[in-house]
Amino acid sequence: MNRLSAAFGRLFNALAIAAALILLGMVVIVTADIVLRNTIGSGLVWANEVSEYSLYLMTLLTAPWLLRRGQHVRLDIILTLVPARAAWLMEAIGDLLGFVVCVVLIRYGFAMSYDSWRLSAITIKNLVFPEWWLLAPLPATFVLLAIEFVFRFDRLMRGERVRRVEATSVS
Amino acid sequence: MNWVEGSILLFGGLVAVMGLGLPVAFAFLVLNVIGAILFLGGEPGLAQLARNAVQSITSFSLTPIPFFVLMGEVLFHTGVALKAIDAFALLIRRVPGRLAVIAIVAGTVFSAISGSTIATTALLGSLMLPTMLARGYDPRMAMGPIMGIGGVDMLIPPSALTVLLGSLASISIAGLLIGGIVPGLILSLMYVGYIIARATMNPALAPDEPVTEEGPQGAARWLPFVTHVVPLVLIFGLVIGAMTGGFATPTEAAAIGAAGTIVAAALYRSLSFANLMKALTGTVAVSGTILFIIVGATTFSQVLSFSGVVNGLVELVTGLGLSVNALMIAMLLILLFLGCFVDQVSMMLITLPFFMPLVQRYDVDLIWFGVLFLICMQLGLLTPPFGLLLFTMKGVAPPSITMQQIYAASLPYIAMSILILVLIFLFPAIATWLPAVLSR
Repeated sequence: MNRLSAAFGRLFNALAIAAALILLGMVVIVTADIVLRNTIGSGLVWANEVSEYSLYLMTLLTAPWLLRRGQHVRLDIILTLVPARAAWLMEAIGDLLGFVVCVVLIRYGFAMSYDSWRLSAITIKNLVFPEWWLLAPLPATFVLLAIEFVFRFDRLMRGERVRRVEATSVS
Repeated sequence: MNWVEGSILLFGGLVAVMGLGLPVAFAFLVLNVIGAILFLGGEPGLAQLARNAVQSITSFSLTPIPFFVLMGEVLFHTGVALKAIDAFALLIRRVPGRLAVIAIVAGTVFSAISGSTIATTALLGSLMLPTMLARGYDPRMAMGPIMGIGGVDMLIPPSALTVLLGSLASISIAGLLIGGIVPGLILSLMYVGYIIARATMNPALAPDEPVTEEGPQGAARWLPFVTHVVPLVLIFGLVIGAMTGGFATPTEAAAIGAAGTIVAAALYRSLSFANLMKALTGTVAVSGTILFIIVGATTFSQVLSFSGVVNGLVELVTGLGLSVNALMIAMLLILLFLGCFVDQVSMMLITLPFFMPLVQRYDVDLIWFGVLFLICMQLGLLTPPFGLLLFTMKGVAPPSITMQQIYAASLPYIAMSILILVLIFLFPAIATWLPAVLSR
């Protein structure tokens, strides 16, 4: 289990680095668009659209990595107030619920992507491509998140029976 | 199920699942799955949930978020911020509470180029707090200003949360960003005034420094300011100018700002592959957490309106025949209360489905409402027991500092933020004047 978990950890890191590079690409593309538009008069018409898709991909690519690092924001008010053992139990219930919603999203996210593929649906804006390209990353991400919830649960079971210390706010 | 039962189920459920400590993105998803089954017709509702998740963040209005966060991350990871502090230290001398004043002034400039409050507080806290304590500053005098100015970062653009508020509430993002400038500057000035007044009345709070620190005069004194502060202010001017000049959207202005910050760091010869990657991964972490909550929560407002909860509550409130002012005060009090317990993104997601229909029905000025909302969120960063900046400070302060000292240090700054909230409530022009002038 540990080796498998470490392997997924490396995968999550690699996905986060991919997200970081996508972000750099977004900066370059959007800046190039505005510079070109205001100098030679015609910019990259697809720049806005690409940055929308990039934002989506970037968010999905980082989600499993953030879950592994305990950086997804949560409330720990009640966890800090109840006895350690009870907090530990609440964490366990939380992990199970997290796993279950991931499975629901995998099921319906896959159905959505499959239907789109079966119907050969196409996204037509500036860029034209099969719509399932856009939809499929969602269930794929939730597969990784479901797997991480299993590892998370496993770590909780094998660790000390207390609450975890994780992020409680963003920005 | 009537709307009262619906609201007990949805809000009670959300509180319960969030209380378990499940990350809020997943807590919203749990409630959305339940809500989709009960109120959105089961299967079709769940299919809609998946579609909404995709659509929620393929949105051009949200793209400034990572760019704004990146500006701050580059500034901090490349050490450019350090040099800016040094430049201010040369200029600001012989002021009571000098180091605290420097923290406020430097923090204000960082706010103008960083979209992340926590970065500002952590940076100033780790750099300036040890010096202030070593010089005999009272811990309250040393920590308060740093936490206070960290909160101001949320008001002064660029600010990631402002973009999110504009996008979720359908308020002009450019207008909201610019609307935060004047209140942010007023707060900075109030903080400086407070520090000087306190240090003058009770010099023991901030002991004078030895005269040996006179330092260079003339050009040598001003040069670091010109080379290390002015360019940062120019980047800020570029972002705001691009947005208001009509030749760039907020996203494009943000991208220019991010590119400009990276170029500036390169020109200072401070940019390396390692620190650029650090800044980029730091950015995807912060923006990933914000945006993934949106992925999880996007269907929640739909569930609320299909269950009749939104209509029920809005009808109930309008039926009370409240005046606009009474309504606004009630909304602000709810936000201040939530801010003590809930993170900023969840605050928006929970309240906006109700607030926006009311705001529209009562014809409230959107920029005014938005800026007041921002200040409530800023206060949420500072208010005990769970204000984020209090814990950020605890993280960077020496171990001898207690949480009680940190709470005490934040109080005057909370009071001043409440004062500005009241001032803007009474004089909306503080928030609406600049956006109106610049958009002409």
